[in-house]
Amino acid sequence: MSYCVNCGVKLEESLTKCPLCNTPVINPNILKRMEPTPAYPQKSATMEEARRHDWGILLTIVLSATAISCGLLNLFVFRSGMWSLLIIGACILIWVFALPTVIYSRIPIYFSLLFDGFAVVVYLYMISRVTPSDHWFFSLALPITLLVTFEMIVFAFLYRKVSHSFLAIALYFFIEIPILCIGIELLTRLYFAAPVRLVWSAIVLVPCVVIVFALITVLSRKRLRDSIRRRLHF
Amino acid sequence: MKNPFSNSSSDSVWYNLDLSAIVYPTLQRRDFSSVYRLSVLLTEKVDPVILQKAVDLTLQRFPTYKVAMRRGLFWRYLEPNNRPGPYVRPDIRNFCMPMSFHSDNRYLIRIYYYQKRISVEIHHSLGDGNGGMCLLKTLTAVYLRLCGHSISDGFGVLDINTSPSPGELEDAYMKYSNLKYKPPRPMEKAYRVRGTREPVHTFHVIGGIMSVSEVQKAAKRYHATITEYLNAVLLYALLQKQKSEFHLKLRPVKLAMPINLRRFFPSQTLRNFITMIYPSIDPRLGEYKFEDIVTHIHHYMHLYIEENYLRGDITTNAAAQRNPIARITPLFIKDLVVRTFYARVQDRNSSAGITNMGRLELPEDMKPYIDRFDIYMGIPYSSRTNCAVISFENTLTVNFASCIVESDIERNFFRKLVEDGIEVTIESNRE
Repeated sequence: MSYCVNCGVKLEESLTKCPLCNTPVINPNILKRMEPTPAYPQKSATMEEARRHDWGILLTIVLSATAISCGLLNLFVFRSGMWSLLIIGACILIWVFALPTVIYSRIPIYFSLLFDGFAVVVYLYMISRVTPSDHWFFSLALPITLLVTFEMIVFAFLYRKVSHSFLAIALYFFIEIPILCIGIELLTRLYFAAPVRLVWSAIVLVPCVVIVFALITVLSRKRLRDSIRRRLHF
Repeated sequence: MKNPFSNSSSDSVWYNLDLSAIVYPTLQRRDFSSVYRLSVLLTEKVDPVILQKAVDLTLQRFPTYKVAMRRGLFWRYLEPNNRPGPYVRPDIRNFCMPMSFHSDNRYLIRIYYYQKRISVEIHHSLGDGNGGMCLLKTLTAVYLRLCGHSISDGFGVLDINTSPSPGELEDAYMKYSNLKYKPPRPMEKAYRVRGTREPVHTFHVIGGIMSVSEVQKAAKRYHATITEYLNAVLLYALLQKQKSEFHLKLRPVKLAMPINLRRFFPSQTLRNFITMIYPSIDPRLGEYKFEDIVTHIHHYMHLYIEENYLRGDITTNAAAQRNPIARITPLFIKDLVVRTFYARVQDRNSSAGITNMGRLELPEDMKPYIDRFDIYMGIPYSSRTNCAVISFENTLTVNFASCIVESDIERNFFRKLVEDGIEVTIESNRE
């Protein structure tokens, strides 16, 4: 084995020149050539529950103060109309919507959605009290709100109990959207005493039916389903 | 309630690309793939027929390495590859060739043999050097067993008759990138080696083989570890190179160094789990003696190689992948953005790459059949040189990989080692 006269490194036998400086190798002699108990508890506590509780108290105080103040002002100062009902209703609506997030987090999602729907109904009813007629409330607002609430509860049930895969969610969505559109169109036509038939909701219905059939096909064929899941994961 | 849409058969198994792996396929070019090579030099000549049997037996234990790359609409992914192969083949000079996702029966792993050497080339999308080394150790152990030797499991040699644990297949980045704060990352252009590019498919390797004890002795003289010392030597070599060239303005000399995060986070993953640190010297601040460089690197390593900093770093990286807009952006747009960012920012952020796999451990009954290990970082993205270090028993190898004509950095590096009293034996595939 030779050394490079320039770099001082030893060169592997097969090298005829130094790869570092290209100096040829000329060697005159070779012309041919267990689990212990931890010191501290393993489980950690979080501050999330306490923080949520604090936010809940703060939100309740702010909303109730706003509602009471507006109610008193409406009663004793600005007595023209029942305008405070709109603000009181909005406060109730916000409080009910915030209930599962910051006030009581263990409430089942179905009750939470039911309360939300009920709060919207109450708010719309309050609005109907300050409008000249409440016919629109009973004919349109109430049934549409009930339909939306029902669909959301069904969606939540399917998501939690059946499947929450991307394709399954798309299937629920494309089934519920045309039902909602048909419901809204029929109720609107009844409200305006127009002939009961489908026009614009049919335009929504047709592509949704096609998509639903496509999704059912994909979901029922495992290989196709797996292939699409892989290609569309995000 | 039974989930009618659930899928549990092996046909539906597929893997998301991990945080590092997302980038590598994006950078794929005709003359570049993120491929690295791990080699083991045995004490006896390799029998290709037995090696092929060993490969077939071993790869079943590494499902994330027996895969093919596929394109989705939003992300790429890996799916199990049951096509024939991969087949062992005689070694070539210009190894670490770019790896097309469609050739070789879509395998992203190649196995070569040459005399007493077994080499495994792996696309970085599958896993990092640590995971790859686990594969090579197991393959070598299986090969030796088939040759009639008794080899035990342990020290990275996995039992091929067991199923992989979920921890081996996990994306550890997502598990440990859990900080709420995303620390900003300073980016500054570093000195770039302007070498003369060789024709496509040329790959130069210059390797230095030395004694671990001699390198340790030299490092101790500077009160540094082997990694700190070798980093300092490479920075010194790069500083000398910059000094010897004409520049209107000097730039900091930076190294891109991957850190094995398994040392800090308890993960068993065989996929990627590394992050980069950038030790650097700024010559604009004045002359640095070699001793100063070693001291600087020593303190840098202590400052940045610690759990909190590394967790922050991977959290910053993971934030981009978790971003809802990024997630629903089509893949071709992501590719364009990532490639541009890498070429214009990331690649210019370092002057050279260096990785140190450290000291390899093996079962005692396997050691007599192993001479040494080698690691090669593969073709660099730009005209520069990458350095990979590994040691086994008392043999330390440093392999430089480049695709440029010049070898000044390698020369400066090894000459400095010789100056410090280390006997270096050079091997190369250069003509």
